[in-house]
Amino acid sequence: MESLDPRIKPLNEVNYSEKDIPDQLKPYEVFIQLNKSKPFTHVGVVHAADLDLAFLFAKEQYSRRLTCSGIWVMETADMYVSELTDGDKNVFDLFTKDQKEGNTSFHLFILNKRGKQQVFLDEIQAKDVVSAISLAYQKHPEVMAYHVWVCESNKILKMEDEVADIWNTLNEKGFRDASAYRAGDKLKNFLAKK
Amino acid sequence: MYGGGTIFEQPKQDNLTNEDPVLLAAFEARIERGEKIEPQDWMPQLYRKQLIRMIEQHAHSEIIGALPEGTWITRAPGFKRKMALIAKVQDEVGHAQMLYSAAETLGKSREQMINDLISGKSKYSNIFNYPAFTWADSCFISWLVDAGAIVNQLANARGSYGPYCRALDRICAEESFHLKYGHHCVIYLATGTTIQREMMQAAVDRWWKPMMHFFGPPDKMSVHTELLMKWKVKMATNDDMRNQFLDMYVPKIRELGLVIPDPILDKDEKTGKWIFSDPDWDEFFRVINGDGPCNKERLEVRKIAEERGAWVRRALSGNIFKPVTPLA
Repeated sequence: MESLDPRIKPLNEVNYSEKDIPDQLKPYEVFIQLNKSKPFTHVGVVHAADLDLAFLFAKEQYSRRLTCSGIWVMETADMYVSELTDGDKNVFDLFTKDQKEGNTSFHLFILNKRGKQQVFLDEIQAKDVVSAISLAYQKHPEVMAYHVWVCESNKILKMEDEVADIWNTLNEKGFRDASAYRAGDKLKNFLAKK
Repeated sequence: MYGGGTIFEQPKQDNLTNEDPVLLAAFEARIERGEKIEPQDWMPQLYRKQLIRMIEQHAHSEIIGALPEGTWITRAPGFKRKMALIAKVQDEVGHAQMLYSAAETLGKSREQMINDLISGKSKYSNIFNYPAFTWADSCFISWLVDAGAIVNQLANARGSYGPYCRALDRICAEESFHLKYGHHCVIYLATGTTIQREMMQAAVDRWWKPMMHFFGPPDKMSVHTELLMKWKVKMATNDDMRNQFLDMYVPKIRELGLVIPDPILDKDEKTGKWIFSDPDWDEFFRVINGDGPCNKERLEVRKIAEERGAWVRRALSGNIFKPVTPLA
């Protein structure tokens, strides 16, 4: 195999031309649960070819440097997104009380403080998205939110509890902690000699 | 963390006249109250444009900035240094991913941003157009270029755009080890053998000028940034950030017995401002416009990455072409 190291093989002109058709991978939304007592919280986005790869990228991107107890991933396009409100305007009040029971399961995520990120509220059985929101409001009449996201539960890839050992090696990676780089004594000795 | 956070092109300030004054006032009031602007909120075109440009340039700086350090992974002195450097470079590339996603929420696709990087339309932090000849150069980057970026990004994390601030918060949290690692590396060289000391000194000599360029042209040379400051897009002026950096790091560099190659560098205790030689702004503009020692090579690496990844994307080409904007 030819070396890819530019110090060994200097870079030649590559035959590059701007693409005619865009070929960007799809975005996926990532939620992380820091520990079992915390709600799943939106942390950001990954781009991937499918849900399984999105999960892998999410694990690497958002849980590489910290432990957590769970990851959920879903395609951005599968997420229903409400209007964004502010002040004392509860986003749940924007939806009619049109509740159709049903057996489709939906995950609801809400933004309860502007500037923060969406957190998981509940899983609701309903006929459609709007009914799910309405039923969730009935179930949680105290809830105040500025934004609601809804995703059909079967479109979410959830980490299974038994694979949580993916974080077991974190302890061996102390070289990523600032505390592994103490050089105070070395500096002190140097300054004393000076 | 590498971004200069400088907006290298100046905004055209004339298109505010087309904005709805009522919406604009509400938008400005929200920022004034210290609230964040979210992707679904109304925002002036100029705000959107400037933010895309700034976050995009920051993201480019992260992936391009991984190159001069990345080239030292294979030659890092010892296993510990190698592990640390791999982890650091991976962090930086991860930062680029988060920043591209934050910029995408404003409506420009990541692919378009990469295209603009490759075509030279979109800039990145100028300092990465210089080569890392020795291990000491890589240590200089890990410690001082990161330190400069931290000064900048702690300021920007208090800005007004929600997704950018949240990405910066995550980035800063991951960052704590980079700076300590970099300082550790420099201490070991500077307190080491004569050859090691000389190598470190040579790196300081090579990188000082680009380091002074890092925060962007002096305020008196830039077109006024009042509006961007008011909208909390830019949180501190170039000169203020440069001064803060000098305040924090010149004593630490000098304590190691390293000599900064600027005979007049000194702090005016009365004004609190550092006095320094003109770091040759002509060179800065020349390099940022393409004529630096590594500009071509840096972009070639991106082109090669695009070329080599093309077959994967082709093989996966099902319904992946529909552009979707991430949510937050």
